[in-house]
Parts: sequence; structure tokens; C-alpha cells
Amino acid sequence: MRSRFSLCLGMVILALSGVPAFAHHGWGGNLDEEFEITGTVEKPLSLAGPHATMKIRAQGQIWDLTLAPPARTDAAGLKEKTIPVGATVQVHGHRNRDPKRFEIKTERITWNGKTFDVYPDRK
Amino acid sequence: MAWLEGSALGHAMRESGVWTYGVVNLIHILGVASLFGAVLVIDLRLLGSWRKVPLHAITQPTVPIATIGFMIAASSGICLLATKATEYVGNPFLYIKFPAIGLGIVNVAILNLLPGWKERGIRDASPHERSQLRIAGGISLFCWLTAITAGRMIGYW
Repeated sequence: MRSRFSLCLGMVILALSGVPAFAHHGWGGNLDEEFEITGTVEKPLSLAGPHATMKIRAQGQIWDLTLAPPARTDAAGLKEKTIPVGATVQVHGHRNRDPKRFEIKTERITWNGKTFDVYPDRK
Repeated sequence: MAWLEGSALGHAMRESGVWTYGVVNLIHILGVASLFGAVLVIDLRLLGSWRKVPLHAITQPTVPIATIGFMIAASSGICLLATKATEYVGNPFLYIKFPAIGLGIVNVAILNLLPGWKERGIRDASPHERSQLRIAGGISLFCWLTAITAGRMIGYW
């Protein structure tokens, strides 16, 4: 009985540990080199969900910006209505490792001479 | 999904402060933890562990915890999904998670029809009933592990 219990427990642990880790949460799914792009706001900032998000248009593409979690983005002074649609912004961060995905883990956004540093502890 | 995102629930999730998602996510995890913790004990017992402990003695505390945990997880989960429901369209893990939950619920319904389960407070299960319960326990463990694994992976897609 003890051995069967160990077997079950072992199966559970195996099932839970054999899980791959990829993108989105953390920086592992994004390229290491710094990435910068200038574009216009397509969809304004949203402070809902696990991360703040917005969309910009640049180089003929729509880019998904993933910013810090809502509370941290808000603390950097960036609110939902701070930057208007159509405004030109400069984005600094790390591009998704998948070249087919136009997503940037965004560390800071510059607009109208103001820089919103949502990850001040990152360069 | 568009309907869910546009619903009053979706609006409430997006417009009630920067900590809302985080707190609802916490409630979801507490619900899932209660559900799976209780289910794991039931399933291991059905699979044959702790045979000296009567099934009834194990299910008395664990079944209500699992039920309440499921209700907490399901209601908070709908809130999380409503926040940006349309963004999850095409996320493959969602299409693994929900069928796994569906199968888990069907399995619970079938388990509740098995005489070895229904009469657990009155008598011990026969060897034939024990093997039925073992199958139900195995399916249950598979379903909930799959649902949790796929659910966790949704955010990593």
C-alpha cells in the first residue's frame, strides 16, 4: 500500500514538473537585446488584466505593448487616459523572440517629452 | 467572448482599480487550491491508498471543500476571463482547459451514480465496485491535473 501511494505521488509530481515554460510572464520569451521603436498609439493604455497593455502602429504593423502590471504602471504616472490615440510615442523594451509576433515587453514609453519608466530597475 | 468582455462584469473588472485583477486572481488560486487539495485526497483513496480509512471518513470533510472550492474557482475564473475575453480566442490552452473541466464534471456526475460511492456511508464497496471507483478516481485526477496545467499555461502563451 505504501509503495502504491508513493507511485501515485510520484506520478502527480512528474505530471506537474514536466511542464514547459515559455513567454509572456517573465522576460524569457523576449530577446535579450534592447529594442526601440517609434509609432502612433492605435489603442490607448489599459490598466486591466495581469499586465497593462496598449497597441501602437509602427513600420506598417500593429504592435502589442506589454507593460508592467497595472499597479506598477499606474505608479510610474501612466494612467489610462494619459496618452491620447494617435499620439507619437517612443517605446523602449524587448521584442518577442518569435519574429512573427509583434509584441514588445515595454520598459519605458516617451511621449511629449515625458518618459514613463514602468520598470525603473531595468535599463 | 466579445459578449462576455462587453458585459457589466467585464466593465467592472476593467474599471474598478489597478489591484482588482490581482485580487480576483488570488481568489481563483485559493479556490483551485481547495478544490485540488480535496480532490487529490479523494482520488488517491479511490485509487487504493489508505484503505484502512473508511471512504466515508475521507469524503466527509473533502467533498464539501472540493465543492466550495470549485464554486469559488469557477465564479472568479469567469471574472478573470471577462476582463479581456477576446484576447483568449485562439489560445490553445483554453481549449484544453475547458474540455478537461467538462469531463471532470461529467466524471463527478457518473461517480455519484455508482453504488459503491452512494452507499459509502452504509457499507464497504465490493471488489467490483472498488474497481469502478478506482477508474473514476483515475479519470478525476487526470482531468483536474490537465485543467490546472492548461490553466496555468494560458498566461504563458
